[in-house]
Amino acid sequence: MDLEDDTTVLTTLKSFNSFISRTDPPQRLSEHSAGPANLHNQYKRSMELLGAAEQVKSKNRYLQLDQEKKQMELSHKRARYELERTASDSARDLEHEVDRNQDLLGRIKKLEERETEAAKNLSEQLTVNRSLRKNLDGLNRKLEERDTRLNTSNQTISSLKDEIRELKQKIQNQDSAVSSQTLENQELQEQLDLQRRKHQEVSQLCQSLQAAQTSCSEHIIKIKELERRLALQEQDFAIVKNVKSEVAKVPDLEKDVKRLREENAFLRESRENCSLLKEEVEGLRRKLERTEKAKEELVNMELEKERLAEKLRAWENIGQSTGLNIRKPEDLSREVIQIQQIEISLKEQNYTLNSRVRSVERSQAELRAELSQQRSKALDEQKKREAHDALVRRLQKRVLLLTKERDGMRAILESYDSALAPTEYSPQLSKRLKEAEEVLQRTQNHNAEMEAQLTKAQEETGTLKLQLQTVELELESLKKQQASAADSSSSGTKEEVSILRQKIEDLEAERQRLEQQNNILEMRLERHNLQGDYDPVKTRVLHFKMNPTTAAKQERQQDVEALREEVTRLGKLVRSLQDGGAAVHLQDDSGVHAASLSLPPSKEVLDLRKQMESSELRNQRLKEVFQRKIQEFRTVCYVLTGYQMDITTENQYRLTSVYAEHMDDSLLFKKGSNGSMQLMETEFSKTLGEMVALHLHHQKSIPAFLSAVTLDLFSRQTTV
Amino acid sequence: MTSTLKGITLKGSAELVAEFFSFGINSILYQRGIYPPETFTRVTHYDMTLQLTTDPKLKNYLTNVVSQLKEWLFECTVQKFVLVITCLETNEVLERWQFDIECDKSAKEISAPREKSIKTIQDEIRSVIRQVTATVTFLPLLETPCAFDLLVYTDKDLMVPDKWEESGPQIIDQSEEVRLRSFTTSIHKVNSMVAYKRTDSA
Repeated sequence: MDLEDDTTVLTTLKSFNSFISRTDPPQRLSEHSAGPANLHNQYKRSMELLGAAEQVKSKNRYLQLDQEKKQMELSHKRARYELERTASDSARDLEHEVDRNQDLLGRIKKLEERETEAAKNLSEQLTVNRSLRKNLDGLNRKLEERDTRLNTSNQTISSLKDEIRELKQKIQNQDSAVSSQTLENQELQEQLDLQRRKHQEVSQLCQSLQAAQTSCSEHIIKIKELERRLALQEQDFAIVKNVKSEVAKVPDLEKDVKRLREENAFLRESRENCSLLKEEVEGLRRKLERTEKAKEELVNMELEKERLAEKLRAWENIGQSTGLNIRKPEDLSREVIQIQQIEISLKEQNYTLNSRVRSVERSQAELRAELSQQRSKALDEQKKREAHDALVRRLQKRVLLLTKERDGMRAILESYDSALAPTEYSPQLSKRLKEAEEVLQRTQNHNAEMEAQLTKAQEETGTLKLQLQTVELELESLKKQQASAADSSSSGTKEEVSILRQKIEDLEAERQRLEQQNNILEMRLERHNLQGDYDPVKTRVLHFKMNPTTAAKQERQQDVEALREEVTRLGKLVRSLQDGGAAVHLQDDSGVHAASLSLPPSKEVLDLRKQMESSELRNQRLKEVFQRKIQEFRTVCYVLTGYQMDITTENQYRLTSVYAEHMDDSLLFKKGSNGSMQLMETEFSKTLGEMVALHLHHQKSIPAFLSAVTLDLFSRQTTV
Repeated sequence: MTSTLKGITLKGSAELVAEFFSFGINSILYQRGIYPPETFTRVTHYDMTLQLTTDPKLKNYLTNVVSQLKEWLFECTVQKFVLVITCLETNEVLERWQFDIECDKSAKEISAPREKSIKTIQDEIRSVIRQVTATVTFLPLLETPCAFDLLVYTDKDLMVPDKWEESGPQIIDQSEEVRLRSFTTSIHKVNSMVAYKRTDSA
C-alpha cells in the first residue's frame, strides 16, 4: 500500500518537474523574439547576443540543471524524508504491533489464568456436586429408612390389629369360658348344696348314732346295774321272804296306789285343762285387743262418717239450694256438662242470632236505601205535581185572558155589527167570528187536554204516594220482623242457617288447610329452588368443558398416578434392599442410587451386639473374680503376716496388727517417689520409739520392725 | 355502554350483569380462598376496592364464560348462574353460589331504554358484593383443597355451543341456604343466594 502511494507521489513529482522544465523555454523564446534593429549590430549583437545567449543558455541550462539537481536533491530529500517517515511509521506500527502482541499475550495469560480458575471452579463444582450427590444419596437413604420404618410400622399395625383380633377372640373365648364356668359354678353350687344337705343328714345321722351309742352305753350300764340288782335281789330274795309277810299288806297298798294314780291322772288332766284355759285366756286377751283396736277404728270411722254425712248434707243442700237433682258429684258433673252443652247451644243460638241480626241489619240498610230512593222519587213526583199545578194555573190564567179577549172581540164585533150594516160586513165578520170561535175551541180543547194531563199527573202522584206508603209499611213490617227476629226466629231458617254456617266454617277450615298446604308446598319449592333444583323439561344446565374443577381433578389424578408409580418404585427398591445382597445388582440396574446404599446387614449388627454383651459379661466376671481373689489375698496376708493392710489415700498404707490392743492402733507408711517406704507418725507409733530407733534407724529394715512390733504386742497379750 | 344515557337498554343491562358476575366470581374466589390471595390484584370498581385474579388460566376461563353468558343474557335465555365449590378429595359439593336471573323478555321486542340510572344499579350491585364479602363470617371454613365450576341454567331450546356441555345441577346433600340481596336493571333481575353443606357440629 505505502509503496504504491510512494510511487504515485514520485510520478506526480516527476511529471510536475517535467512540466516546470517544459514551461520555461517558451517564456524565454518570447523574450528573445522582441527586437530586430540593425542587422550588424544586430548580428554582432546577435552574435554577442547569441554568445551571450549561449552563455545565458548554458548558464540557464546550468542553472536549470542546477535547479534540476536541486530539485532532484529536494525530491530525493523529500523521498528520503518520506521513506524515513514511512520507516518511522512502520517502526511505530511495528512497536504498536509488538505492544499489541504483548497485550494479546497478556490477555492470553489472563485467559489461561481464567481457564485454570474455571477448571478449579469446575473441580470445586464437581466436588460440590459430588457432596450434593452424597447428600442426595443420604437423603434418599433416609427416605428409604423412613419407608422401611413406615412399612415396619404398618406391619406392626397390622400385626397389632391381628393381635387385637386374636385378643378379641380370646376375650370371646374367655367370655364363653366364663359363662361356662359360671354354669359349672352354679352346678357345683347346686352340688355343694346337695352335699351340704347330705352332710347335714349325715351329721344328723351321726348325732343319732352318738345318741344311740350313748343310749347303748346307758343300756349296758343299766344291764350291769340290773345284774347288780339281780344279785341284790337274790340277796333281797331272802329279805323278800321276810317281806312276803308284809305283802299281805300290798293289796291295800295297791289300792292306795290305784287311788293315788287316779288322783294323779285327774291332777294331770286338771293341769292340761289349766294350760288350755291359759291358752284360751291368751286368745281372749288378743281378741280383746283386736276388739279395742276395732273400736278405735269404729270411732274413727264414725267420725269420718259424720264428716262424710256433713259433706253429703252440704251436697244435698247445694242440690236443694240450686233446685237441681244433685245427689252425687256425678250428678253435678252431669249437670255441669249439661250446662256447658246448654251454653254451647246458647252460644250457637247467639251466633245464629247475631248472624241473623247482621243479615237483618243488612236488609234494613237495603230497605233504607230503597226508602231514600222512594223518598227521592216521591220528592220528584211532588216537584212534578207542583210544576203541573203551576202549569194549570198558568193555563187557567190564559183561559181567562182568552175569554176576556173573546168577550172583548165579541163586544167589538157587536159594536161593529151595530155600527155597520150587516150586509156589507156580515160575511167577513162571520168569517172572522168563526175563526175566533175556532181559536176558542182550540184553546178550550187545549185546556181540557191540559186538565186531563193534570189529573193524570195527580193520579200518578197519588199512586206514588200509595207506593210510598206501601213501602213504608213494608219497612215497618221489616223493622218489626227484625225486632221479632231478635226475639225469636223460626226453627227452619235457624237450622238452615246453622247448616250453612257449618258449611261455611267447614269450607273456611278447608280453605285454611289448603292455604297452609299451599304455603308449605311453596316453601318446599322455594327450598328446592334454593338448593338448585330445576325443571328438566324447561331447563338445561351447561358448563364450560375445561372448567377449573375438571382441570384440577385431572391434575390430581395425574399426581396420584405419579405418586403411585413412585411408591411402587420405592417399594421395589425397599424390597430389594431388604433382600440384601441382591440389592447391589438391582441398584446397578436402576442406576438411580448407585453405590451409595450400603446399609450394614442387620445380622452383623446383631453379632457385634452379642460380642459386646459377651465381652461385658466377661468383664463383669473378671471383676468378680478379681475382687474375690483380692479378698482372699488380703485375708491370707492378714493371717500370715498378722497385719491388715489398707490403702487410705494414694501412696499411703495403713497397717493394723492382729494383736493390736485398740482398734485405732495402726502404723502409717508412705511410699516415696523412689519406691522407699517411710513410717508416718501416729499415736501408736509414738509409743514405739525404741523399736523405731533400733529397727528403722539402725537396721533400716521394715519387716524386722513389723515383726518386733508383732512380737511385742503378742507377748503383751499373752502376758495379760 | 349506556352510561351517557339516562335509561338502560337490553344490551347495556346484559353487559352490566355480566360485569357483575365477573367481579362477583372474582371476589367469591378470593374470599373463599379457592385461589391463593397473592394471585389477586386490587381494582377499584363500583366505588369500592375489588380483587381481580392475575392467574392467566383462570382469567382466560372467566372471560370465555362471561362473554358467552353475556350473549345469553342478551338473548334472555339464562335462568340461573351457579358457582359450585367442590372438594377435590371427596368430590363433594361444599358450596353453591346461585344467582337466579329473571329476564324481562319483553325487552327483546321493545328496544326503548328503561328508566333506571346506571348509578342506582351499581349501588345495588355494590351492596350485593358487600354482602357476598360479609358471608365469610358465617360460612364454614374450607379446610380441604377445593376447585370451582360455573354452571348456567338455560332454556331447553338453546343450542349448546362448542366447548360447552351439559352437566348435573351439583346439588348439595343436606344444605343450609341463605338468601342474599338482589338487584335489578329493570330488564334483568338477579337474586343471589348461597347454599352450603351443613356441618355436623353446627
